[in-house]
Amino acid sequence: MSEPPSLHSRREITLRFDIPISKTREFWASLKNGKFMTTKCSKCGCVSFPPQADCPRCMSGESQWVDLGGDATLVTFTHIRLTPASFAKSEPYTIAIGEFAGGVKVLAWLEGVEPEDAKPGIRLRVEPRISAEGTPYYAFVRA
Amino acid sequence: MGHRAVSRVAIVGIGNSRFGRRTDVNIGELAFESIKQAIDDSGVDRKDISNVVVGSMGSWSEESLPAVVVNEYAGLSGVGTMRVEAACASGSAALKSAYNSILSGEGDIAMAVGVEKMTEVDSSTTVELIGRAGSYTWEFENYGMTFPGYYALYAVAHMSRFGTTEEDMARVAVKAHHYGAMNPLAQFQKEITLEKALGSQVVAWPLKLYDACPLTDGSAAVVLASEEVAKKLTDTPVWIKGVGYSSDSANMSRRGSYVGLEAAVRAARSAYAMAKVTPGDIDVATAHDCFTIAELMAYEDLGFCKKGEAASMIREGQTEIGGKIPVNLDGGLKAKGHPIGATGVSMAVEITKQLRGEAGRHQAPIRNGVGLVHNIGGTGHYAYVTILSRS
Repeated sequence: MSEPPSLHSRREITLRFDIPISKTREFWASLKNGKFMTTKCSKCGCVSFPPQADCPRCMSGESQWVDLGGDATLVTFTHIRLTPASFAKSEPYTIAIGEFAGGVKVLAWLEGVEPEDAKPGIRLRVEPRISAEGTPYYAFVRA
Repeated sequence: MGHRAVSRVAIVGIGNSRFGRRTDVNIGELAFESIKQAIDDSGVDRKDISNVVVGSMGSWSEESLPAVVVNEYAGLSGVGTMRVEAACASGSAALKSAYNSILSGEGDIAMAVGVEKMTEVDSSTTVELIGRAGSYTWEFENYGMTFPGYYALYAVAHMSRFGTTEEDMARVAVKAHHYGAMNPLAQFQKEITLEKALGSQVVAWPLKLYDACPLTDGSAAVVLASEEVAKKLTDTPVWIKGVGYSSDSANMSRRGSYVGLEAAVRAARSAYAMAKVTPGDIDVATAHDCFTIAELMAYEDLGFCKKGEAASMIREGQTEIGGKIPVNLDGGLKAKGHPIGATGVSMAVEITKQLRGEAGRHQAPIRNGVGLVHNIGGTGHYAYVTILSRS
């Protein structure tokens, strides 16, 4: 069966976002120094990840940066075989959610672990990384 | 516009386009197929419709303002309107909004339309846009999360905690295709075997191609009326008895658990309380099976079984015709297809057909006259549960 006729639009647009990070700059700065920091509300003590300047629990705008340490436990994971178009150059990767002491959870790549060796409950460490594109990120490795 | 109290609202007209790769129609033409059916089915005059709410996610089709495009094509310009977005639950959000407008007394007749054109851009772009449905900066920019990837996180947790298997998930796909083969509007009208589902390409382990719903073009529409008007229009009104809705965090890392959708549990609790029914009263349901694991979690989140027992339900055939609560007899998102904004409205169309006894080959036995629509947006970001009843 042949495709019905269509108007193949000639008006192409490219979307590329400049995402403000001024209120979470400390996270990326300390990551460069090997520390994994997030925000803690100065009023009610609520620890948030991802970090946020304003407290989602009590709405206070006063927060401080705290070190989450590096140790976490694997909660769940997946191995991405079909990658998005903008990750076409990446090899398949494993994504894990790790839980830190105190209950804060973080989603990141799990590196250096074969998918068949990953399972809920294994001990992880989070480490700073620089991507092939030159941008800072963080990844889990096996502790 | 008489602003008087309305206590009950009914679905009095339904329409559903053929789902699939609909390169033969643009968004206005596609929505028209459902709108015309729904208006003809209801017998209302278009000039008596006060409000048309359009559920559509967009961004993969060319029109930025789908609501006015759809209304113009159907001769409805001038009506009160808006487009609503609750990701894959946009259709249920449109239904709720139209329902509320009648309850408020602003008008006696309203319409909810769901429409999505997903095949006008290349599929890898659409897949990428869907994968961004989370917290972009923290989940996509550096980590390339995908939609199957998100649901795979649930699947691994459920497998690890309750012993659910890849076969259990594949059984959901086999059931979907079995009923899809009986639905002339479905994208896939073909049975599949367990072996075929299990042998399909892994997209995000443990989820495979046959655990996932397809990209779909489609539309659906329902006409709603106040009790006074509904009783004049039809002998078979289907009443909206309960509507529950809730939400959860954008970031997957902020969810409380990965073995169910907490937003769905909250939405279900509200809907059951409002409708004054329990899970045991439900004759037939649609569950949001964007992935097979999502249908299994829905059984538990809706209270169709206890936590951790969903795998037993599918193994025992409890969600097939003749079982405890038949689920997704239209083929579900997996086989009928999942045109994002249209899905919630299409689910309401299916349950209305079931309660009217008009579902043909995939008709469920109706005892209590009560059906349920479970419609999830994103990866549990939005949850809507709607309970429909013949009385």
